[in-house]
Amino acid sequence: MTAEKTKSILVVGGGISGITTAVEAAEVGYEVTLIEKNPYLGGRVTQLNKYFPKLCPPNCGLEINFRRIKNNPRVKIYTVAEIEKISGSEGDFDVTVKLNPRYVNENCTACNACVEVCPVERPNDFNFGMDKTKAIYLPQDFAFPLRYVIDDKYCKKAECAKCVDACTYKAIDLNMKAQSLPLKVGSIAWATGWNPYDASKIDNLGFGKYQNVIINMMMERLASQNGPTKGKILRPSDGKEPSRIAFVQCAGSRDENHLPYCSSVCCLASMKQATYIREQYPDAEVLIFYIDIRTPARAERVYLRAQKDEKIKFIKGKVAKIEEDPSTKDLTVTAEDALTLQKIIHEKVNLVVLATGMAPNTKEWKAPAEISYDTDGFILSNTGVAGMYAAGCSLKPIDVYSSVQTATAAALKTIQSLVRR
Amino acid sequence: MAEQISPDLGFVKDVIAGGGESLKKCFQCATCSVVCNLTPDDKPFPRKEMIYAQWGLKDKLFPNPDIWLCHQCSDCTAYCPRGAKPGEVLNAVRKLSIENYSVPRFLGKAVGSPGSLVPLLAIPTVIFFIILASLGHLNLDAIRNEAGKIAYSSLLKSYYIDGVFVPIFLFAVVSLAIGVSRYWKDMIRATGIKPKGSILDAITSTIGEILAHKRFEKCNVTIDRKLAHMLVFFSFIGLAITTAWAVTYLYGYEIMHAMGKTPYPWLLGPSPYPLTDPVKWLGNISALALLIGITLVISNRKKNTEKAGKGGYYDWLFIYIVFAIMATGILAELVRLADIAILAYVIYFAHLVVVFFLFAYAPFSKMAHMVYRATAMVFAKATERDVQS
Repeated sequence: MTAEKTKSILVVGGGISGITTAVEAAEVGYEVTLIEKNPYLGGRVTQLNKYFPKLCPPNCGLEINFRRIKNNPRVKIYTVAEIEKISGSEGDFDVTVKLNPRYVNENCTACNACVEVCPVERPNDFNFGMDKTKAIYLPQDFAFPLRYVIDDKYCKKAECAKCVDACTYKAIDLNMKAQSLPLKVGSIAWATGWNPYDASKIDNLGFGKYQNVIINMMMERLASQNGPTKGKILRPSDGKEPSRIAFVQCAGSRDENHLPYCSSVCCLASMKQATYIREQYPDAEVLIFYIDIRTPARAERVYLRAQKDEKIKFIKGKVAKIEEDPSTKDLTVTAEDALTLQKIIHEKVNLVVLATGMAPNTKEWKAPAEISYDTDGFILSNTGVAGMYAAGCSLKPIDVYSSVQTATAAALKTIQSLVRR
Repeated sequence: MAEQISPDLGFVKDVIAGGGESLKKCFQCATCSVVCNLTPDDKPFPRKEMIYAQWGLKDKLFPNPDIWLCHQCSDCTAYCPRGAKPGEVLNAVRKLSIENYSVPRFLGKAVGSPGSLVPLLAIPTVIFFIILASLGHLNLDAIRNEAGKIAYSSLLKSYYIDGVFVPIFLFAVVSLAIGVSRYWKDMIRATGIKPKGSILDAITSTIGEILAHKRFEKCNVTIDRKLAHMLVFFSFIGLAITTAWAVTYLYGYEIMHAMGKTPYPWLLGPSPYPLTDPVKWLGNISALALLIGITLVISNRKKNTEKAGKGGYYDWLFIYIVFAIMATGILAELVRLADIAILAYVIYFAHLVVVFFLFAYAPFSKMAHMVYRATAMVFAKATERDVQS
């Protein structure tokens, strides 16, 4: 007989998939630790304006999950945390978690007094750098846990310390240091998520060079109430309302020079974003340049609806050149219309949205474990290590709905791993 | 309106065998037509050519001026998301197009197939060997001119050389002329457009563009080809002038001699000519330029392999034949000056064989690109299908 094995589960990544795995396993009765590197839970979903196909905001789904976490003492969450080391084997993993300093403790009431006195600004990565926050900031309006955080790359610490004096709750500790947290767990679920593909690597599409070329995730932020423009879609160069917008499908996707695969969601995402534009600007014209429109199964309805809109034009041909008029910052997109055999060169637009794909975080960063990846950096569904499983977009590029399914599956697998011996 | 097509699968296989092995990877995204700086905006290439080639529609490809308006910059290949290498595919289509219009057809086929290389080389080897043997000129060590020096004109008098090369040259010119006129008629038939305006203007403008290498300037990935191609192109012209000049020296001298007059002193008669003579300067400078040019062609191709593709047998055969002509030509001169008789004559013999190869097979080899591409450019200009600069 072996010694009593631990009955707890570690979930790495606090996006929609990680949250789901953690909650599902905890509600079955297991102890779960959820680790998230951002200062808030919810991951990429928190950056979305609306989900398709129903076009509802993601907050309600997240709120339900946050409530389930709050009500369940078996779920322990650590934000601003990362995995440092893992040893041992299935049923008996020793994990070292690095708790990075947040500089703000649980006394924080989110009163905002600190922000008012903070003299330093930082680019707001939550909004893809389209606005700024102070060095001490609330990560986003819907942050869970609702607690401020300090970006130590920008904060001047003791040299300034104005926020410490301003805080009446003694919630700020500028001397906070990173801590190590040892954990014993029986099984591990990786839900490390994805990143938008770095569009500046696509040298013919001008991202990073032309201000009015943005990626689809930036459009989500522009359209969101809690975004940099309070939900009004305005172009970055001059804050003007766009009247003609081009969507570039497969920007860096299905392309062996970039991401060789289809991310499966970008066609739907662009059609969804076309509705954001059409709702705000009834006269605006939307051009969607594509190789193939991929709207499988029920998603076909979204395509049919978009086709009925006479202000949305679909053009079969990949955009391979974007040029900027330096005086107006308007853009000329070039594509061959493969159905009419015309090379369109005079499609002048005010804003270009690149439908970039999803790159797994494990493309650049590898887990401190001997798990296996495919050639694109996604974790294989058979991870190669007993007791370790993967969920969501760490497995493959999928939508929220499918991510949640893989996350529930991962909850089941982590539980099976604990009990089958 | 539905159009029924009948794919020619044999043609698809030929494209693949001719260096277009990546053909089937194309998924018609049309990136290529956009990044191409040489295509007109109306019915741009090479996306449509890619699908014609995939479907085996050779009748849409051969009589198409666009396959020659492509200069294989390889910008399309570099940006192709699938590694389908449109530049390489169109190159393979051009090879098959030359073969399609070639007269006689079997030679067109032979020059493009590696298996026929040995017989093609054997033809000039046997011809020159028979001539030498019948002259009793196989005792290479003993062959000297009146001054006791190594002289290639003593090994083979110019009459024999010209007796072979003049008919060969005429054959090549006639064969190419027939091929190109068939292509021209085919273009008119297939496009349904008759050239309008002055053909002469189109020809003048085309020649001007070719001399200036203007289209090469529009390439991004392989911009370095401009210098290499210019060196090869102009050194060929230099060598052609050298040859005409030497012919004047020889036959001018002989004719005056035969007429019982004293030849002008500047008509030097049979070769070799002194290194101080201008004909030698031009010849040597051209040879050196060709050496540099063809070496650059080779090194550029190797350097750009990853972005532009490795090139097929057809291309490399032509490149190495040019390289061999230049190498044997320069070596023949150096070894002659070093007075190593047997080696010198053997190298000279090899030189004759490869020069024969270049001339006799010009209508069927990559050499023919010069004429077909120029023809397509003239047609494009005359039908107002030309890239806006």
